[in-house]
Formats: sequence, C-alpha cells, structure tokens
Amino acid sequence: MSEPIDELRARVRKWLRANLPPAPAFALPQNALTVTTDEQMRWLRDWQARLYDAGFVGAEWPVAYGGRGLARGAQRAIDHELARAGAPFLVNNVALAWAGPIILHFGSEAQKQRFLAKLLRADEIWCQGFSEPGSGSDLASLRTRAVREGDVYRIDGHKVWTSLGRFADYMILLARTDPGAVRHAGISYFLAPLRIPGVEVRPLVKFTGEGGFNQIIFTDARIPADALLGREGQGWELATATLAFERGASEGSAGASGMGGADLERLVALLRGAPPRLRDDAVLRDRLAALAIEATALRWSGARMRLPGLVADRPQALPLMAKLLATEHAQRVSELGCEIAGYAGTLWKDPAVPGSGDWPHGYMSSFAGTIAGGTSEILRNVLGEKVLGLPKTR
Amino acid sequence: MSFTLRYDEEHAVLREEARRWLAERVTPAELRRLARDPRGDEPALWKEIAALGWTGLVIPEAQGGAGLGAVHLAVLAEESGRRLLPAPLLATLLAAKLIGLAGDDRERERWLPEVARGDAVATIAHVEADGAWEADATSAALEQGRLTGAKHHVWAAGTARLLLVPARERGALRLAVVRSDAGGCAVEPERGVDPSRRTARVRFADTPCAALAGDAEAAWRSFRPWAWLALAAEMAGGADAALAMTAAYAATRVQFDKPIGSFQAIKHPLVNVLIAIESLRTLVYAAASALDAGDAEGERLARMAKAAASEAYPFACSRALQFHGGYGFTEDCDAHLYLRRALASRPALGDGREHRAALAASLLEEVS
Repeated sequence: MSEPIDELRARVRKWLRANLPPAPAFALPQNALTVTTDEQMRWLRDWQARLYDAGFVGAEWPVAYGGRGLARGAQRAIDHELARAGAPFLVNNVALAWAGPIILHFGSEAQKQRFLAKLLRADEIWCQGFSEPGSGSDLASLRTRAVREGDVYRIDGHKVWTSLGRFADYMILLARTDPGAVRHAGISYFLAPLRIPGVEVRPLVKFTGEGGFNQIIFTDARIPADALLGREGQGWELATATLAFERGASEGSAGASGMGGADLERLVALLRGAPPRLRDDAVLRDRLAALAIEATALRWSGARMRLPGLVADRPQALPLMAKLLATEHAQRVSELGCEIAGYAGTLWKDPAVPGSGDWPHGYMSSFAGTIAGGTSEILRNVLGEKVLGLPKTR
Repeated sequence: MSFTLRYDEEHAVLREEARRWLAERVTPAELRRLARDPRGDEPALWKEIAALGWTGLVIPEAQGGAGLGAVHLAVLAEESGRRLLPAPLLATLLAAKLIGLAGDDRERERWLPEVARGDAVATIAHVEADGAWEADATSAALEQGRLTGAKHHVWAAGTARLLLVPARERGALRLAVVRSDAGGCAVEPERGVDPSRRTARVRFADTPCAALAGDAEAAWRSFRPWAWLALAAEMAGGADAALAMTAAYAATRVQFDKPIGSFQAIKHPLVNVLIAIESLRTLVYAAASALDAGDAEGERLARMAKAAASEAYPFACSRALQFHGGYGFTEDCDAHLYLRRALASRPALGDGREHRAALAASLLEEVS
C-alpha cells in the first residue's frame, strides 16, 4: 500500500522542522551552477546526503538502484515542500536531472548498479561534456575524439561551459568514435571518469562574477571501454534524450527545483513598495499583470501535461515549451524588476544599500537560462518542426 | 490552490462529438453563404444543435438541461470557435447560465425549459453605447415591470426570443427578462466586421418584462467568470484553427526553392503564436476546473484567460494573414474569417488592457 501524498508531505515537513540546517558562516551560492569553493561544495554534498538518507532524493526511482520506489508524483510533492521551506538546493543537479535519468533509461545493469545510488547521495558529482568551443547550437559538429584501443578509449578534445567541472568525478561525455561517419552517426556517449591523467580543468569567468564555470581539456586521457553508454554511434540519440530531460521534456528526474512564481512575487512586492509615480503608472501595471498571467499559465502547465486529454492535440507542445517559456519569462520578470528599481537597480552589491544588485544580477544571470541547454532560438526551431510540422531550417 | 485540473472521459467524448459534427456541418463554404444571408444563421443548424443537447448544456437537469459544468462549456466553446460556428450557441448558453444564477426556482422553471429544448434562443443585452459592458454601468431603467433604454452590440438579437437586460429600478440593479416580441422592443441589426456572429442595437420603450428575483449584483459577479471563460475558450479554438491553417500553408508554399516554413522569419513567429495559444488553453482549463470546484481562484483565472485570449487570437490571425502573403489578402483565403471574429471578440467582456488593469489592482492589493 502506498503512502498518500498528504502524509508524505506531512512527513517531509516534519523532517524539515527537525533537520533544516542553519545557514553556514560562509555565503552559499544561488544554485549548483555557481558553486565556487571547496567549503561550499562540502556543505552542499553533506546536505544532499542527509536528504537522501531521509528518503527524499530519488523517491520514485527503483529500490534496486538506490531509490525509494514511491508512486509517481511523490518527488514533485517532496520538491514542493523543500521549496516551500526554503531548503538549500541539491548540488548534484547535473546528475539528478540528466546523467541519472539517462543511465536509468539506457544504462547497462552494471552501470545502473555502479552509478545511480552514488549520484543520488552526492557521493559522486557529475558534470556535462557536450559543448565545445566550435560546437554550441550545432552540437553535432563536435570534434572531441574517442579512439578504442583494447579495453580503453583514448580521449582528446576540449569541452566548455562545464558547470561543477572543478568538483566533478564523472562527466556525461559526447565524443566522435567514427570520424568517417556523417555528423550525427559517428558520435558516442560516455560515462567518463575525470580523476585520471590527461584531464585538465581550467576556470572560465562569467560576466556576472560568480565562479563555477569551467572548461575541460582531454589530452590522451584513457577511460575504460565499459564507460560507453549504449552502442558506439548511438550518442546522438542519447544526447537528444538527455537534452529532453534538461528541457524538462521528460518526467523522471530525481529531484529538481521547479520554476515557481517566486520571482513574480518579488516583482509584485517591488512595485507595491515603489513610490506612487511608479506604482500608479499604467504601463508598469500592465506589464506586471501580463507577467502574472504568464506565470500562472506556466504554473498550471505541469498539471495540464499530466492530463492526456488536455494535450491530445499536441502531446509534445507543453514539454518542449517548458524550458523556453520559463527562462524567457524569468528574463522578462528580472528585466522589469530592473526598470522599476530605476537608479537603485544600477547599484551592484553596494554595502550602503542592502540587497542592491539583486535585480540586475537576476537579469544578467537569466541569460544562462535562455542560452544553456538549447538556446531559445534553437528551441523555436525544434517546436516549429516537431509540433507545427514545419520543414527543417538549414 | 485547493482544486485540481479535471478533464475526464466525458469531456473527451463531448469534444470528439462536437469536433466531428462541426467539421461536417460548418464548412468555410457554408460560412461564406451565411455571410451573405440577411439573417446570418441557419435554422436547420440550430435544430441539430438542440438535438445534440448542447442548448441545455449548463441548464439544470430539473429544467430539462444536462446540468454540466465549466469544463464542458469550455470544450464546446473551444470547438465551436475552431469552426466559427454561425449559430447563437454561446449567447444562449451564457444567458441560460445567468438566468440560472439570478432567478429563483419558479423563474428557472418559467424560462429555462424552452431554452434547453432549443425553442428559444436567448442572449444578454448588456453593452452600453459607449462600450461599458458591466451590468452596473447600465443606463436602462425599470419601473413597474416596464423597461426603457437601449443596448448595443447584442449577440444574436435578430434571432433571440429572450433578452436578458441589466437595468436600474429605484437605484438597485435588476436583471430583466424581455420577450423579443414584446411591445416597444425594437431590434436594429448592426453592420459588423464579423458576419459569422450577428449583433444588433435593441431599444426598449416601456417594454413589458419580468425582473428576476435574485440579487442581481451577486449573480452578475458570479456570472462574469463563466462568460470570460466561455469566450476565451471560443477564441482559443479560433486562434488554434488560424495557426493550424497557417502552419500547413507554410509547410507547402515554396519560394526561393524552399517551403517558406523552413525560414526562421516565418517559423519563429508561428512558434510564438503556438506558445500564446497553448498558454491560453492552460489558463482556460485551469479556470474551468476552478469554477467547477467552486474555488474563488476561478474568477482571477477566467479573467486571465480572457486577457490572454484578447492578445493571442488577434496575434494568431495577424500572422495568418501576413504569412499567406498575397493569397491572404484575398476573399478566397479563410484567414480573414478568423481575423474578423478575433477583432469582434477582443473588446467583448473586456479587452486585455482592461483585464490587466484589474489584475494589477488585485495583485497590488488595492481591491478586495
């Protein structure tokens, strides 16, 4: 007999009351993409391990692989309670959202046994190695090579925009195994160890000032042959599936923070507290309400997606829209925040003005959302082609 | 949020039935024929609609209706909008809903059975000459069972047998039911941009009527979300049809040796239309579920749906016209049929700007 969702929620709340940690002495990063220091990483790993031990990470995953085997909807309920309590984020998010689901769906039995429980508990940190300096939106043009030699693959290449790269133990890695094959066909997908000779991690500096961004250079790095996921040449198919997880297209991530209305509430509070010349401005009010409408549609789209009858006409539309709309919405919210903040919105962490810089920081950071994991422009191509049936661009 | 989204087998069945019947009976050729018809609708269509049970969809079972709720209403409105149904179905459904909310048992028994049977087309005459559409803005006067005043842009007034009119009686708001053949009731057809939904000016000169017993202010407030919902759903259906025809055209129309839909200048705006429509449909069905659950959030969600529809429908149609190119500018292309309905629907029951102003006030806690 499965536990009713209400009781699960109550159990999470009760556990959080007893176990929600006090803020550490150092500043925590805002999300997993901006973890910079070792002490931040240690603290966050510890938090994820405690949540896992309590049964709140991987709740719906099979018990055989370290999950809890709870019914569909359990993880969402848990995530909702965590968000409501203001709990810290889960640091191993590349693993939870992408590496984990892809291994769960496509991994060998040995790979599932080897990796899944450890990633749920943040015992092993994962990063993603898809993009390269010359291969962004046109990912299939990637040039990193993997050459089979006995029981190893020799990796040579250069991966960029690697969040968590400095801390990662493993990478989901795309590399070309068949240089003679046409584009997509020659690509393979690896679960590559990083703590080996021939792997160099260098920082990349973000314009927002946070750390956590890296590039990783492979120079004759030898990874075991059984690091291959699926078959040689299946990499493109597996990468597409991974990006679908990344864009929120597939259910089954092990625990992730949803796109909530939190930013909109901050925006409403900002205008409510603004001087009358702004608060009574019809244009600002109109834009605020338009964003509230957008946020409401976003909030309900998850529930709609779970009713097959309400998406029967275009089953792929809402899943493929989710990332595009959520990130562009967040950008519009933070941009309006900057405008309402006015002169105050031009300050950047000025010690004389607490909270200054939040709106411009949010706006600047929002471009990570509209670029990473498929730019908004690429996603519009995908939607046009897969949902509207328009012919391919190119 | 204490309600959940509902969409069950019975809703899917209604959608299938409606989609099939509408595709068969309401063709663009039929729309063009009726556009030239002085009356603008087809009595035979109405008989079939009544036989399908749709006229009584939201009328209580005790009065011969089906007693169904907001999700059913949204489904039927969306599918009707997809085909630009040139029949007074939405007008009748909404008038019946308002009579149900404002009348007492005796009055429901008096007025609703003939509406449910399809014997009486009904409509609400609520818009003032200056475009004010809320009931409490009415300039019509009621005195001792006699109504005097004028209403504009009244849907289906030419075919309606029952008109529901907000009016003031000694300062209090009332809702009066008028039979269109009553003395002093004069219907003047308007010439409108959208021939698929006819409208008229209606003048009342000491016209006998029956004022409903219930609290008209409260009934109107409860009614508005249902009206926003139904119209927003209808607009979503129309917008979706305009998008579908444009995407199909862009996939086949070849210029510069390529289908124009492969160009991002066409593809990306159509995706923006898609996003607007799918967001609108999410709001429509969230609002419908809230109304069926009796949740207070239904009012705000329905308002949001009408606001979103007022942007999405004209947007979808403007891209439909533009992307059909020269053909889009001809009478032969169906795009203008939708554009006309979109233009006529935008101001109805409040446009986007008006609803956003109200939403902003509520977000900023300036009204209760």
